[in-house]
Amino acid sequence: MSFEQQFDAIENEITEEGDAPPFFSRPGGKIFIIWLVFTAIGVVIGVFAPHHLLPGLQSGTGSDVWATIVFFTVLAAPVAAFVYALAFYSLLAWRPKKSGSSDEPPPDGPPQRGNGPLTILWVGISTLLVIVLLVWGMTVWSSQQVAHDGALQVNVTGQQWLWTYEYPGTGVTSRTLELPQDRPVEFNVTALDVIHGFWLDTMGIQTDANPNENTVIRTTPTTLGGFVVRCSQLCGLNHAFMNNKGSVVTPTQFGNWLVSQGATTSAAAKSADVPESSLTPSSTSTTTAAPMNTGASQ
Amino acid sequence: MSIATAPLLLEDTPLGPKAGGLYRRQNALVGLIAGVVLAAIGWVISHALLQGSNWGSDMVVTVTLTCWVIGFNIGIGTFNAPFRWVVGKDSTREDELYGAGVGQGAARYWKYCTDHKVVGTQYFVLVMVLFAIGGTLAMMIRTQLITAHSSFLSPGTYNNIVTIHGMIMIIATIIMVSGPFANFILPIMIGAKDMAFPRLNAMSLWVVVSAVPPLLATFVLGGVDTGWTTYAPLSVQAPPAMDAFAICIITFAGVSVTVAGINTIVTVSTMRAKGMTMSRVPIFAWGSVVSAALGLYAMPAFLTAMSMMITDRATGTSFFVNQLGGAGWLWENVFWTMGHPEVYVILLPGTAALMEIASTFSRKPVFAYKAAVAAFVGIGSLAIMVWAHHMFTTGWAPNLATPFMLTTELISIPTGVIFLVLIGTIWKGSIWARLPMYFLYLFLWNFIIGGVTGIYLSDVPADQFFHGNMFTTAHFHYTLLGGAMIAATGAVCYWFPKMTGRMLNERIGKTAFWFIAIAFQVTYFGQFWEGFQGMPRRIAFYDPIFLRANQMSTIGAYFLMLGWMILLAAIIVSWRNGKIAPANPWHAKSLEWKVQTPVPLENFLVDPVVTSDPYTYGEGVPDGQNQPSAAPEPELVPAGASESTSGGGAS
Repeated sequence: MSFEQQFDAIENEITEEGDAPPFFSRPGGKIFIIWLVFTAIGVVIGVFAPHHLLPGLQSGTGSDVWATIVFFTVLAAPVAAFVYALAFYSLLAWRPKKSGSSDEPPPDGPPQRGNGPLTILWVGISTLLVIVLLVWGMTVWSSQQVAHDGALQVNVTGQQWLWTYEYPGTGVTSRTLELPQDRPVEFNVTALDVIHGFWLDTMGIQTDANPNENTVIRTTPTTLGGFVVRCSQLCGLNHAFMNNKGSVVTPTQFGNWLVSQGATTSAAAKSADVPESSLTPSSTSTTTAAPMNTGASQ
Repeated sequence: MSIATAPLLLEDTPLGPKAGGLYRRQNALVGLIAGVVLAAIGWVISHALLQGSNWGSDMVVTVTLTCWVIGFNIGIGTFNAPFRWVVGKDSTREDELYGAGVGQGAARYWKYCTDHKVVGTQYFVLVMVLFAIGGTLAMMIRTQLITAHSSFLSPGTYNNIVTIHGMIMIIATIIMVSGPFANFILPIMIGAKDMAFPRLNAMSLWVVVSAVPPLLATFVLGGVDTGWTTYAPLSVQAPPAMDAFAICIITFAGVSVTVAGINTIVTVSTMRAKGMTMSRVPIFAWGSVVSAALGLYAMPAFLTAMSMMITDRATGTSFFVNQLGGAGWLWENVFWTMGHPEVYVILLPGTAALMEIASTFSRKPVFAYKAAVAAFVGIGSLAIMVWAHHMFTTGWAPNLATPFMLTTELISIPTGVIFLVLIGTIWKGSIWARLPMYFLYLFLWNFIIGGVTGIYLSDVPADQFFHGNMFTTAHFHYTLLGGAMIAATGAVCYWFPKMTGRMLNERIGKTAFWFIAIAFQVTYFGQFWEGFQGMPRRIAFYDPIFLRANQMSTIGAYFLMLGWMILLAAIIVSWRNGKIAPANPWHAKSLEWKVQTPVPLENFLVDPVVTSDPYTYGEGVPDGQNQPSAAPEPELVPAGASESTSGGGAS
């Protein structure tokens, strides 16, 4: 019976006659403290870690990914911390010494078969959380679906194992993806042979390139800099090599790049939405990789 | 206990020299020979007739491997009983006893044996063999990825290994609980003498065995370079290995899982002991039944999809080829109609087994039994409505993103209830820290992480970053390996004494546990890291910016494999020389612990009568799930025993 005495001593359970011990020396109170600590750890990780782990995000849709991860982690942290806190506490407080090597079971626990209000509360809280998640997801998703007038059109074609980008109206076809800063872009994505995955990770958008189907995705690049387009759908032998470089540049640089790819100055100016006079004809002073670079040997 | 006149055990029944008929000559070796011979005949005929036509090699591979499957099953004896029935020579009782393995010793494990305990043991070994193959392939993948441009594997081999690792693990995880435990343990738990359809039970096992060689044949037939999802049109263009892959799926999903699922459902529905109402059955039965029912919904879709795939490849139809008027999205829809329910087929029986473990090792009743049942049914119902979340980024129906986001996130409510049941059972219990309990705690740790990472993926804007990315890979390994397979491992440790008659060596087992628990976190946190950085899945070569994350994952994976090998060593050592197990080493209250070990043929010497559920811990009442074991005469069990026996509080 020494075990049971020890068990009661640890547990400090309220007895019907005795004075109730202070909240923080009861199991519920101790679990509450552990829960607070675990929740705090989860929230700190959720708020600060994604920023360090994600690549440099280059658009609003990219920031949506970051915001979603942070928000969902903060929301999930208390739930996860509750399960962890209870499991952790149960090992400390409710595990009799040497029980792991004993062939005899410890004495039976309380015959508790359920707790209706607690179950309802648990289901209620998770339902509430699900509604919050859903509202967040719907709001962000619908904001990403909005089409902008005058968006730059880019026709993206995947084939085994390279991407081709066509800028309608300029006659430019390239294997690097140049995008002007702060201009809405609409990608019209298709494929020639099998399904590929067109994925701009720094902009948080992705869609499959399906043969004979056209899929539209939208974003507005906001941050200058290079990125890599990687195929996200296993597409055969050299899938691993199906990536190439791209960069977000200023509208003028973009116009100049179009010109260097063979567009006329007027078409380039119209496509880049900059005055024709700001473009240098047959300029080669672009900051980007050489054309037709498949990016295979990055 | 001393019994004056020991009852005659069925397995001691003397059998005549002709009992069993053809079964006497059939075993796995005969099946192998018959399969090879029929496959050779099929190859010669189909090659002569079809090779050189447009889709010749696809047809030849299909015909040959179909012949293999049929031949193996003829050889092992799958068709004996139906055939004898057709020709009017129905089996005698002696034949049935021979078929159940009477008088054959260890040889019955190589035969078409109808005893559910033999089938369960066969499944147990088969699952371990499949995990060994799948795990070896996983080690090859991780070895390839230890440097950015490794020359360990060619891209083609790598892609095939990715495919076969995925498929073999899916097969192994689908049968890892419903095979060994729903066959061996479940009938005893509910007080049945065997499964409802013992011959179908044996069939479900040997059909899986016959499905595995076609899967491995993909390595010599050109490889399936598509991943296990085999998206069209890439899979329609793939080498003839894809036909072998499809034959494997049709055989496994279309026949074995379906047959096994019907068997489980009918057994639990109709063969429960007297007094075992649906609210008194052990919770494991509920998990198994919902899982089986979900499998019955899911697997026909796989069968259909793969049959259409074969006709696309071998006869020139174009269900799935966009360029010829078909639709790749059709494939994706049919595939995921199977693919998402399937993960719950894998998960549910394992979590149900953990509820048994939580109850036994906390010495408390299962918390909120009815809520647990509702959670299983809720998950089962929602699971058939979430498939398109795998297609958020495919371009198919962007307007359906919101409803599928809703159903996907709703499923976290019943999943949360499963957590409530587990931690509610632990709450204020007396934790008996034996090995099965270790795996329960590891499940709680892993499955929370798997669940939280799952909500990012359920959200379309975040999914556009994580889809097709190593983050997804890490997520589903957290749920399926860290969740379901850890649960199944707990179940192995729990029921090992009953299945093998020996105690599992817990000293080795706990060493294995710590390797598995820690190395698993290292492996998959490495992959979460890769995913956050933007590394796509299923690539053999990668940008050096992902190097450190990959090395972390690979090192973790080696130690993880080491952990599993130590566990395998514990199983093998204990099975051969372990301490002899008492009938009820865990002092548990469900019926499987009330029968003697080793369990006799047809399990119960006397029909059990049940007066309460098996969770009467701490209720101070006599155990309500008693087998009146001392009574040798079955007639002595009074028909109205449930009234007179003092029962515990049935929930």
